Amino acid sequence: MNQFEKKEVIQAILIADNNVDQLRPFSDENSTALLPLVNVSMLDYALDALNRSGIEEVFVYSSLHLRSVREHIKNGIASLNSWSVNMTVHVIGGEGCRCFGDAMRDLDAKALIRGNFILLGADVVTNADLRPIFEQHKKTAKYDKGAAATLVFKEAATSSIRTGNEVMIAVDQQNNRLHHHQRLRLHGKESHFEVPLEVFLNNSEVALLHNLIDPQIAIGSPSMLSLFSDNFDFETRDDFVRGILINEEILDSRIYVSVLPRGQYARKVNNWLTYCMVSQDVMNRWAYPLVPDMGINCLAQQYVYLKNNIYKSRKSTFIKAALRENVAVQAGSQVEAGTSVSCSVIGKNCKVGKNCVLMNAFLMDGVHIGDDCKLDCCVVGFGSKIGAGSTIAEGTVVGSKCAIPAGKLLKNVVIKSVLGDDDDLVEKLGEHAFIIDDKQETQSTYASDSEDEVLPTAATGIPKVARVPTICEESDYTSSSDEDESRAVSPLVDDTNIFLAEVMDSLARGFQEKSNPDFLILEINSSRYAYNMSLKEVNFYVVKALFSLQDIKEPANQNVLVAINNVLKQLGPVLSNYIKTPDAMLQCLRALEDIYEENEFVRSKISKVVHYLYDKDFVSEDAIIAWYEQLDVEDHRALRQSLKELIEWLDQSSEEDEDDDEDESD
Amino acid sequence: MVTQEFQAIILAAGQGTRLPEVLADSPKCLLPIGPYPLIWYPLNMLQQHNFQEVIIVVLESERTEIQQTLERAPLKIKMDFVAIDSDSDFGTADSLRLIHDKIKSDFLVLSCDIVSNVSLFPLINKFRQHDAAMAALLFKSGFESDVTLPGPKTKHKPERDLIGIHPESDRLLFLASTSDFEEVMSVNAHLLRKNGKMTIFSRLVDSHIYVMKKWIIDFLLKKENFSTLKGEFLPYIIKKQMSKKSGSSVAAPDMHSEVGVNLKSENDIFHYASNSQLEQRIQKATLFNDSRVKEPYNGDLIRCYAVIAPKDSIGVRVNTTLSFFAINRKISNVWSQFFKEQEHALISSHAVINSTQTKEISVGDSAKLSEKTSLNFSVFGANCTINPKNIINKSIIMTSAIIEEGCNIENCIVGSRAVVKRGSVLKNCLIGPSYAVEEGTKKENQHLTNADGFMEIDIQ
Repeated sequence: MNQFEKKEVIQAILIADNNVDQLRPFSDENSTALLPLVNVSMLDYALDALNRSGIEEVFVYSSLHLRSVREHIKNGIASLNSWSVNMTVHVIGGEGCRCFGDAMRDLDAKALIRGNFILLGADVVTNADLRPIFEQHKKTAKYDKGAAATLVFKEAATSSIRTGNEVMIAVDQQNNRLHHHQRLRLHGKESHFEVPLEVFLNNSEVALLHNLIDPQIAIGSPSMLSLFSDNFDFETRDDFVRGILINEEILDSRIYVSVLPRGQYARKVNNWLTYCMVSQDVMNRWAYPLVPDMGINCLAQQYVYLKNNIYKSRKSTFIKAALRENVAVQAGSQVEAGTSVSCSVIGKNCKVGKNCVLMNAFLMDGVHIGDDCKLDCCVVGFGSKIGAGSTIAEGTVVGSKCAIPAGKLLKNVVIKSVLGDDDDLVEKLGEHAFIIDDKQETQSTYASDSEDEVLPTAATGIPKVARVPTICEESDYTSSSDEDESRAVSPLVDDTNIFLAEVMDSLARGFQEKSNPDFLILEINSSRYAYNMSLKEVNFYVVKALFSLQDIKEPANQNVLVAINNVLKQLGPVLSNYIKTPDAMLQCLRALEDIYEENEFVRSKISKVVHYLYDKDFVSEDAIIAWYEQLDVEDHRALRQSLKELIEWLDQSSEEDEDDDEDESD
Repeated sequence: MVTQEFQAIILAAGQGTRLPEVLADSPKCLLPIGPYPLIWYPLNMLQQHNFQEVIIVVLESERTEIQQTLERAPLKIKMDFVAIDSDSDFGTADSLRLIHDKIKSDFLVLSCDIVSNVSLFPLINKFRQHDAAMAALLFKSGFESDVTLPGPKTKHKPERDLIGIHPESDRLLFLASTSDFEEVMSVNAHLLRKNGKMTIFSRLVDSHIYVMKKWIIDFLLKKENFSTLKGEFLPYIIKKQMSKKSGSSVAAPDMHSEVGVNLKSENDIFHYASNSQLEQRIQKATLFNDSRVKEPYNGDLIRCYAVIAPKDSIGVRVNTTLSFFAINRKISNVWSQFFKEQEHALISSHAVINSTQTKEISVGDSAKLSEKTSLNFSVFGANCTINPKNIINKSIIMTSAIIEEGCNIENCIVGSRAVVKRGSVLKNCLIGPSYAVEEGTKKENQHLTNADGFMEIDIQ
């Protein structure tokens, strides 16, 4: 009897209402935990996963839509949902809870958690067995009293697209302690990772693990909750991790890491892209036993499982429609003739018209789609109606109960049926269809090509539903110049550098003391002979030195043109002394190329600077054009771009000149 | 003559800048380690691995001395000495460049300062198995950790390397010195993207034993700006593993006829590393693949590997005074792990030993250890004289040193030809070469030397 009482009940905390911003417009209407994924709400996946790991008590923490979550759980228990066996589920919540950290603090205050616990979001789909990790954490905690949590990670496929859940971590090989945690950028690639040197000096073996998926599953010690209470600035789990890593000693807490074995699946649904990916994975049976035909929701068989991963309800009707692969169709749905469906989910009581094409389309319950529609990479909410002949594509999300008029073409937009208070209207499509601003800078869909880093904007666009590329992209080695041939180029502490330095000194002094340009020329010439410079080099370096003067480097009022004008008023004779021949002019412009790279003020005004030199007759039109043509199209794309207008203008004016000549000769 | 699979090269032209206290005027590679000179250990290791010949690179000025010493040592291996100009500042890569015409096959490079009992076969096999460009052997550090260096107390911070290895394939991915970084270490993201994971070791010591492809010599010959192997060439080739062969040379692999093309490709390391047609075909046909999704080795032409010596093996680089002291102190203890069958004696048969109280000592040729002495855990160099009534503990008495009567010496290095006069008590002291310690001296933690010329560099 005594033994029986001492038996430890493993507790788990499920945080609902995550990612409220990223799953719009659905998140405006209901808890994201209840969002159906392959016709089963996400909360059920998470509960099922916990049940399979042998958890006996679960606290579902919800704040925004507490009532609907409570109702869902109540219904689930009433209908003998598979997770309700041997597991008690409590729904708790607090009004003032605004973030993950608040939830943790509230839980700490309520003192419901007695020992180590499992913590995960309601948006996690996993088939991982968490018990061994839990046991491991207990062992660690016995050894290290400051073990606050064990984070669970999963290795990602070699080159999957970024969804915002990928991290790079540094872990001690010997005791699995976390030393560095860095979320990978959603857009664009990092060029370097920076890890404190200390980490390596203090630990003899540190593994850097890149591209791990963070499903936000953790095993927490009781101290984890109190740490949240003590540090009220911890808002998210990442804050917690960062805070602990920075203040390890002050907080006397440490975080450990566990990586799931290869066969186990874990993924978090935090935006529409992951929604799409996880749906596909579930249909592809990666998350087995969490697959549609296993009856996650209720104990009854809902689908007939056919080849090519087609899950078809017996109560659905198909009239000469083609189901290609990875399709789940719920009871009561009807698909008309000539329609082809692939990689899609169709909810309860949907109607899909004739000759439609559905690809990567996710239809929730009661959706009606007219004839001849084309749906590609989109989500359509409960009870929405889409008029005939519409095309909905590129990550469009249609909220519940929308009515989209016939023949619309919608790409990458968010549509709601009723305009909320804080929605920014973009366009009204109909009585029950408003395109709203999804509160992010418009960026092309993620699939298009995120590798293309032409515009390194700091956009934090949320990934949309997109086709998941199957081809692995080769990581390209963009080696920076300093490491590629660093050994090959010996440091330039040679004569040319000394010469340049001397010329710069001469010019700077000359400019300041307003000395006679002839003296300066004399000085430069003597330097020239001292360092045995060719005339070409002299031309090049004089221009370079001239533009490297302090006044031009840091022009007053940021106005570089005024600064150049001032300098050349004084030192113009020096420049014209050297830059005489067409060759020299070319050298002069080449030097300008260097300056262009170094000086941002010159960069922004390059065409004006060249124009100025042309105006003052330092360089000729021919030289400019010859120089422009020599510029490499690839390497100097930006420079060419900025010079384009000037060149066109020069071309025109020369033609006019010719015209004038002709006129005169007539 | 049959070409061997591997040639062996020992680089022994080092100046020993990190152990000036014990060096005196003798070459670094002749420092006594137990009963034998330092260079004997790598030579013996090669001999044990059935190498028949070895090329030894030495300084011109030290050549005769080294040659003479080695002729007396028990070695069967055929030695080919190559001398480099003593004045020139030759790096390790420069040394290799010098002997390029002697190298006909893939080769093994060793530094002369390795004292180790590790087997080289795992290293060589790794190299063979993956057709690698280069493979390096790494030791666990910490051999010296329990030894106090005699002399004034200094905060000794050894230079440490950060070595990144792919845990599944043993590919050597990253090599840098901790002093290259200040607060943060920066890793190229490409490296991680491509390999997924990398384990960074901070307490491994590069043994300076490398197996290399023949073409590396050809490449070094062209690229004169590489002066050292470890410092310059290795980081370069390790980085180069990850980069792709430039597109043009892939398209036209055999364009040697045109002078222009040829010139350009000679600057490219891939020109040297490129696969022959046969190798390419073999690689296509093989079932071996070390990567789950891509072609074998990710299609990398250059591959560097690292082999970590087993934990229980001994590997020390004798390049600091501390490591020199440590290996000597422990040599008699670990001798049986080096030579199982007592083939090499710790105590020279030409030594005169009258002492009855000895424990774990090694004694060089013609050393004279008198009666009524207690000598423990110490090394006695050739021709040294220990008079009666001495207690010597945990110390090194170098060649031709004399200890007069009634001394107590603990944890000291007594330099060659030094004299410790009657009744001295020395603890944790460094006695420089030829220094005479006056009668009745009592010193602790001192560096006693004639040469004022040593620059005291306090490395914090």
